[in-house]
Amino acid sequence: MAAPAMTEAVQFTFFGSLQADSFQEFATHRARRLDLGYAFGQCSNEAVSVAVVGAHDLVDAFEMACSLGPHDCIILDVERKSGAALLSGKTKENLA
Amino acid sequence: MTAPTGWIPVALSSEIEAGASAGAVVDGREVVVWRDTSGVAHAWEDRCPHRGMRMSFGFVRGDHIACLYHGWQYDTAGQCRYIPAHPDLDVPQTIKVPTYATKEANGIIWSTLSDAVADEATPGETAEVTPLRSLYVDCPAAFIRETLESASMPGFTEPEGETIFAAVADSVWTLTTGEDRLYIGVQPVNPSQTALHVVIAGPQATYAGAGQAHFSTWLETLRRSLEDGAPEEATSAPMTTAEVA
Repeated sequence: MAAPAMTEAVQFTFFGSLQADSFQEFATHRARRLDLGYAFGQCSNEAVSVAVVGAHDLVDAFEMACSLGPHDCIILDVERKSGAALLSGKTKENLA
Repeated sequence: MTAPTGWIPVALSSEIEAGASAGAVVDGREVVVWRDTSGVAHAWEDRCPHRGMRMSFGFVRGDHIACLYHGWQYDTAGQCRYIPAHPDLDVPQTIKVPTYATKEANGIIWSTLSDAVADEATPGETAEVTPLRSLYVDCPAAFIRETLESASMPGFTEPEGETIFAAVADSVWTLTTGEDRLYIGVQPVNPSQTALHVVIAGPQATYAGAGQAHFSTWLETLRRSLEDGAPEEATSAPMTTAEVA
């Protein structure tokens, strides 16, 4: 039987040459697929901030997926901070 | 061509052994048909939610099918249960392959290509069948039907006799000569290709071996004739990957 998943909250900022709408759509799909709570912060064509909360392994999977990004975005750098401020104490359930 | 509704034949039962998987295409939609080791057949969308690999390339382990690419395992409800790279992960319910209602009747595996079970029974159900073969023809279903309506099929138990074609439903045709009857499940692959899943309506004691060879040979002749005579616009180059996707 699988061990209880360790939950963590992380704030990511993806930098690069982005199409903000396309990237948000892509990240939203991946977060839902991975059963993560998520909240977007500042979004531009240079950087998109998104906070996620969920199982540690799935947060890592989210980072990996978004570091590749949709076909029209080039990700050059990823900033990862623990304890996502964007979440403001919210749980996965009230974010998704 | 309109999308088929109700029960659609996707494979001959005898061609999908326990623990095996195969791909099928119905009106351009890719389907994996697989049988778990307890013998139950399943038809799903042929795509792993992880990286999009065809599940029909995967392998069956008990009542799970695993993707060839990264080994993600799915139970008979399509729910991902195990990710080898994260063996301790309690896999979320959101990672799931779309599954379709599936049944077996008349030696053929049928699916509705949705999670809804079709109201109607499989058309023309018959008591006992002898499996024959699946025939993939580079012709539209309408052209094959038109040809079969005037076809002459030599019987096995009685070589002479008139051949009678009947369309029991859009997805089921029969050809009868004397006491011999072929039951044909019609699977439209795309506008120019059709799969016919054919069984003999009759006991294996009568038709196994020589009877199967008799009708199989006739079907191969039929296919050559169909493809030689197919209307120009109906024949086309094999589908590209983009068309399949």
